[in-house]
Amino acid sequence: MSEYQFSEKYRDQLLRCSSCGFCRASCPVFNLTQRPALNARGKMLVLQEVFEGNLPLDEELHETLFQCTTCANCSTHCPSGVEVPTIIKEARRDLAQAGACHPTFIGMDQVLDKYSNIYGEDEPEDFERERNQEAENVFFIGCVGQYRDEEPTEATLDLLDHLEVDFTLIDEVCCSGVLEDVGLSLKEPLAQTNIERILATGAKRLITACPYCMRTFQNHPAYAPLKEAGVEVVHISQFLKDQDFGVTTDLKVTYHDPCDLGRHCGIYEEPRETIKKVAPNLLELAANREAANCCGAGGGVRGAFAANSIAMARRRLEEVEASGADILLTECNSCVHNLGNAKLRSQKFQIFTTPQFIHALVEGDLD
Amino acid sequence: MITQNVKDALKEIVGEENYSDHVIDLVAFATDASEHKQRPDCAVWVTSTEQVKAIIKLANQERFPVVPRGAGTSLAGLAVPAEGGLVMDLGRMNKIIKISLDDRLVVVQPGVVYADLDKKLAPDGFFFPPDPASGMVATLGGNVATNAGGIRGAKYGTTRDYVLGLEVVLPNGEVLRAGGQNIKSSSGYDLARIFVGSEGTLGVITEIILKINPKPTETATAMATFPTLADAGRAVTQIMRSGILPSVLEVMDRLAIKAINENTDLGLPEVEAVLLAETDGFTAEEASFQIQKIIDLFKANNASSVEMATDPAEAAALWAARKSVYSVLTRLNNTVVVEDLAVPLSKVADTLKIIEEVGEKYGLQMPTVGHVGDGNLHPGVAFDRYDEKQRETAHAAAAELLGRVAGMGGTLTGEHGIGLAKAPHMHLEHDPVSMETMRSLKKLFDPHNILNPGKMALEA
Repeated sequence: MSEYQFSEKYRDQLLRCSSCGFCRASCPVFNLTQRPALNARGKMLVLQEVFEGNLPLDEELHETLFQCTTCANCSTHCPSGVEVPTIIKEARRDLAQAGACHPTFIGMDQVLDKYSNIYGEDEPEDFERERNQEAENVFFIGCVGQYRDEEPTEATLDLLDHLEVDFTLIDEVCCSGVLEDVGLSLKEPLAQTNIERILATGAKRLITACPYCMRTFQNHPAYAPLKEAGVEVVHISQFLKDQDFGVTTDLKVTYHDPCDLGRHCGIYEEPRETIKKVAPNLLELAANREAANCCGAGGGVRGAFAANSIAMARRRLEEVEASGADILLTECNSCVHNLGNAKLRSQKFQIFTTPQFIHALVEGDLD
Repeated sequence: MITQNVKDALKEIVGEENYSDHVIDLVAFATDASEHKQRPDCAVWVTSTEQVKAIIKLANQERFPVVPRGAGTSLAGLAVPAEGGLVMDLGRMNKIIKISLDDRLVVVQPGVVYADLDKKLAPDGFFFPPDPASGMVATLGGNVATNAGGIRGAKYGTTRDYVLGLEVVLPNGEVLRAGGQNIKSSSGYDLARIFVGSEGTLGVITEIILKINPKPTETATAMATFPTLADAGRAVTQIMRSGILPSVLEVMDRLAIKAINENTDLGLPEVEAVLLAETDGFTAEEASFQIQKIIDLFKANNASSVEMATDPAEAAALWAARKSVYSVLTRLNNTVVVEDLAVPLSKVADTLKIIEEVGEKYGLQMPTVGHVGDGNLHPGVAFDRYDEKQRETAHAAAAELLGRVAGMGGTLTGEHGIGLAKAPHMHLEHDPVSMETMRSLKKLFDPHNILNPGKMALEA
């Protein structure tokens, strides 16, 4: 029997997988590839074999162990209550410990030793705003919104200005929580930098654009000083729920639940309440809330298996097409980024984050 | 062992992207939802009858085992490649070829998932009634090969009752088209149904014609608790001869109730047995007339409590306990084996008693649920598979149970099939003449034993 951490910590859960295969209905990687080895059951069977000493934990297993978006659709519906993403993340950690981490993430780890963001960019977009001011709220953009999908960020900042929210940006650095998903460890110095800069503003609330950043700030011990200082961490979708926008539209909109906000945090209704304030014609996608299909970007899959990641997004967009909506809204820059890349020219709906959409309505850009 | 030359030939047939001997695929294809495991040598994903034909021809020539596979949800090891060889995954042959409401049938490829067909039929008010608990993922090819049942068996029968025709690639590589698109036929031997429940041992099913039914729009549900097993058993017998045919009639025994109460907050009364009945029809009156008759019989047989539901929310509350059973069972230990006995309807109560006796004798708890309307009981045994003694005890108890049930005229399996799990016990139910007939049939179709070898005790 192996002495890896995944089996040390989660032995009972791992073995409790009765291999019923019900996760075939929910695993986005399986549904795309129809390859049982990539399904949650396949992953648990592989790890059971490692546990039993019948299979070495090495690079041969990357294709399945690193091809999990950690969307948690399987564990949410697992009759045996197996927390598949948690076990997978621990197994990735064991792989890394054994010097067999996926090369994509060894690269990411090195980038974060040198740079303040996962893309290794030198110059952050300044969004023409002062930073590190004293304010009631800090708005934390995250790497995707800062370096890859600037438009939603620009629009969100403009909306916060329009709503006269007292907020500031900071010279933020990557929260580095994503490393924890791929077998590596959050960078304490980066966390320290963020904490110092957030606390220096005197803000009592930290609003994040990225649900993953929110989870990191709320749950990772390295960010405990935020909680100790009484800083409340919320996602922008929660913050906007209590705002009045003074605009409405008849456009038909639909909403994609980001896994990090929905299944991982249980936030399903707040984004919908906000959307319904401005767009009463909210259509639900065939798979929504706890059953929502993943956009394919999470868990490092976009980095390590880009083609399949995009193909998963494409499948999600087929649901959007079937809904007949004019607009697809979501609350995660990473989802927006992946879905945007996957959208076909023939698909006529537009994709926005909710704040970006509301800002466009306020500006009269969508009539 | 499959040689490199054969592997190359397989790649040639299905294309590089539909072939694998990567260890992760071998591990994933080594098992199904049973406790049995054996890695194959390689695997293919087929996409056409032509490919299946070419592979089977090759297998017959080179004599390597081929194990057809759907979703791999078998609880009895039907899809486990017991002697290695090639796993043929038919999941990508998943097209619904035709839905004809006029002819009241569908034509599907074997990899179509039960739930996907159900979704397609629902808007027109039709359904394919035999719905196994794994229906959200199980494939229709697998359902046919297993003769899968479900909770509606008493009223609607099992998969066998709906198979009108099949396209099958025979072990010699010929394509057999058996049956057709006629709702009735008495033309020659019923070749199509020989393959129903054949567990992939006689041919590879590549196309299926299934009869479909109009789906009743109304249901009514009732749940009753009973102070003794005898009372519940008598209630079942009286319901089944009352002229009312419930669409669902489920039982949960004392140990199932105990396990549910210990692992959920449902707080069921600690009684000897619970019966759950559903009736259906096309008007609310029809469904409720029938459920009322059933409730009368519950009461006439000393039910200590009766609850009734007429709307979906109330019904869901009554169903919660029954639906929690599998989850509860799988959390009791790291391995659960679900038995699948079926007995004549009048022997349900006796069988529940036997299960309890056997459990006591071996010091095991065997919570039992079942579809008593068709005499099908599922005692579950949870154990630690890494503890040799526990594993042996669980298997010894199962063997004794099967022997006693077969001895009273019951069957080893109502809907899961024989596979590997029940193969050693075939002789308990089937006499030498039956076994010899089955073996002759296997030899006739598959003289070189290339298809799913090691199953159903066909080689003994």
